[in-house]
Amino acid sequence: MTNRDLTMRRPKMTVSRALTYTLLYTILVVVALLVLYPLLFTVSSAFSKGDALAGLRVYPFQQELSLRQFDRLFQKTNYVKWYLNTLKIAAINSLISVTVTTVAAYVFSRFRFRAKKPLLMSMLILQMFPSFAGMIALYILVWRMGLLDNHLGLILVYAAGNIPYNTWLIKGYLDTIPKSLDEAGRVDGAGYFISFFKIILPIARPMVTFLAITSFTGPWMDFILPRLLLKSDGNKTLAVGLFEMINGRENNNFTMFAAGAVLVAVPFMIIFALNQQYMTQVLAAGAVKE
Amino acid sequence: MSSANKAAAPVRLKNPWPVVASTAFMGLGQMTMQKQYLKGLLYALVEVLVLLNASVFVRSIAGLITLGEPKPDLPLRQRDNSIFMMVEGIIFLVLLLLFLGLYLNNIRDAHRTQAEYERTGSYPGTRAYLSSLADTSFAVVGLSPAMLLIIFFVAVPLAFSALLAFTNYSSPQHIPPANTVDWVGLQNMKDVANRPLWSGAFARTAVWTVTWATLSTTTCYVGGMLLALALLNKRIRFPKVFRVVYILPYAVPAMLSLMIWRNLLNGQFGPINRMLMEWGWLQQPIPWLSDFSLARASVILVNLWLGFPYFMMLITGIMTSVPADLYEAAQIDGANARKQFTAITLPMVLYQTIPLFIMSFSYNLNNFGAVFFLTGGGPTDAATTQSGAGATDILMSWMYKLTYDLRQYNIAAVLSILVFAVIAPFAIYNFSRTKAFKEGEL
Repeated sequence: MTNRDLTMRRPKMTVSRALTYTLLYTILVVVALLVLYPLLFTVSSAFSKGDALAGLRVYPFQQELSLRQFDRLFQKTNYVKWYLNTLKIAAINSLISVTVTTVAAYVFSRFRFRAKKPLLMSMLILQMFPSFAGMIALYILVWRMGLLDNHLGLILVYAAGNIPYNTWLIKGYLDTIPKSLDEAGRVDGAGYFISFFKIILPIARPMVTFLAITSFTGPWMDFILPRLLLKSDGNKTLAVGLFEMINGRENNNFTMFAAGAVLVAVPFMIIFALNQQYMTQVLAAGAVKE
Repeated sequence: MSSANKAAAPVRLKNPWPVVASTAFMGLGQMTMQKQYLKGLLYALVEVLVLLNASVFVRSIAGLITLGEPKPDLPLRQRDNSIFMMVEGIIFLVLLLLFLGLYLNNIRDAHRTQAEYERTGSYPGTRAYLSSLADTSFAVVGLSPAMLLIIFFVAVPLAFSALLAFTNYSSPQHIPPANTVDWVGLQNMKDVANRPLWSGAFARTAVWTVTWATLSTTTCYVGGMLLALALLNKRIRFPKVFRVVYILPYAVPAMLSLMIWRNLLNGQFGPINRMLMEWGWLQQPIPWLSDFSLARASVILVNLWLGFPYFMMLITGIMTSVPADLYEAAQIDGANARKQFTAITLPMVLYQTIPLFIMSFSYNLNNFGAVFFLTGGGPTDAATTQSGAGATDILMSWMYKLTYDLRQYNIAAVLSILVFAVIAPFAIYNFSRTKAFKEGEL
């Protein structure tokens, strides 16, 4: 910001300039209101007493505050179960993805073998397809494996779908770690296994953390796969549960939905705020690259 | 690929019999003539396993070709289920290919061992093999889970989807187990191109998909840039407060925001309409999501709400990181603020954001959620009830409906091939820019 001080000398205030700035401020404030309104309206709905969308005042926080909607959410729906299901699926997916991907990436980065190039190229092609392009076959495969309406089936599909891209990502990172480091370890008697855990993993921690976080947040708002593979209400994830709570029943369930949405959005916004510094760096790094 | 490997192929052997034996039966040469007992045994074991299951291989792969016969007189459970046969056929085809790969590897191994014997006069012993096995097994054990997961949950389903485009798997006539599914060649492609039901819906959806991706990306980009510029203006007070507020839509999961907007814009009960009517600006409620053109405008406007913060943050970051000496030099050359903006800031921002603009465009081409959670693809019209494609449906959401609601799997598969053809160049472009691709060795 400081370098802008050098560049723009304050121009003299004239009538037309004053008008321009009034207009500019008006626009900025209107945009801010447009941004805030849906969010405030949702928060206020979550704490409202009435169940119907039609009964809500159009301005936020104009009605009596109440925790009735949260009560309904916990008592009348499987919301708590959905939350725990999602948490469980996200955590296990993160664990499997990290384990499977980092080991595979290590092999691709350190071993030389005939099938390496074709395998890497096929993964490159596979990662271009959206994961649900094969959804009918996934459904039938999971069905034939007896894993329909079972979280394990969904977790396997998630973990598998992310392997191609993530393996490339991690392999790229491992390639930048000098090979002499783990070769030295192996000369000292450590096998590939030990040098992987003792030498490579600690160095690759930032990338592995990144992978763990993205594979944890991925399943939270994913909709298509859980809707396809999970059937019973108690097994659903948050995205499907919330969608079906409100789809076609806007008027009756909006306030309860709002309560559920607030409970998801708040942790996400906290994580976002904590990560903001990191994220802007990632964004900037992405932008600077030619 | 070691140098020994490459050199092995052209060497002419004095005694080719071990290679012949291994060609006849996996591992035979290694076991009987090359003193490679353990390795030979492992190879032989694989072939025995495959031979024992030969009938399963033949039946499954034949099933993939015939897709079963209709047997209307049998009870449902005993009829041929074409779709199961297809999936299993693909799996066994993959296993067969893996086996053939291993077979080739076995022949090559016998050849290599023999060449080494004729050069050095001794066979590599079991001990040497075991120590090389320790390294190899790390690689094999390390890669297998990833490869198995990819083969079964990524590659097989994609192959299956691609093949579905050449079948008549669709409701109501061809849904197993009641009926079988048959190969129909290019009939589905012809239908999508020629049959009015599909071709009309396809043309409309394809045009809208491209329009949508162009408009949604451009509005977010321009909106983000204008706000970034406004907030970098020295005369604007509290830019940080505004910035924090403007980032909020980016921090809330998009799916939730979209479902919230769907309710806000509800024609009957939505607070937006009620507010406008309270202010006396409206006599009649506006059908935001139920009028053909208005729904399309709403989808783009709501997406602007969701998407401008990303570009605003990005462009703010780039603008503040332009080196100060560039501006100083420009000032010395007598450039005024406007000239500095058009000659330095703008080119810099454009240059650095064009790749991200393209990435965002290709993302929006497939942005299922932005449409599905807001309008569900609707509103529908007379033509829609049969084809399923609503006014705001993009190819991806139409494909989803064809699969999930209408069970027109064959048409959905044709669409997925077309979508892929459009996306692939973008995907290659995006990936070729990543660090992993540029710096990693293959």
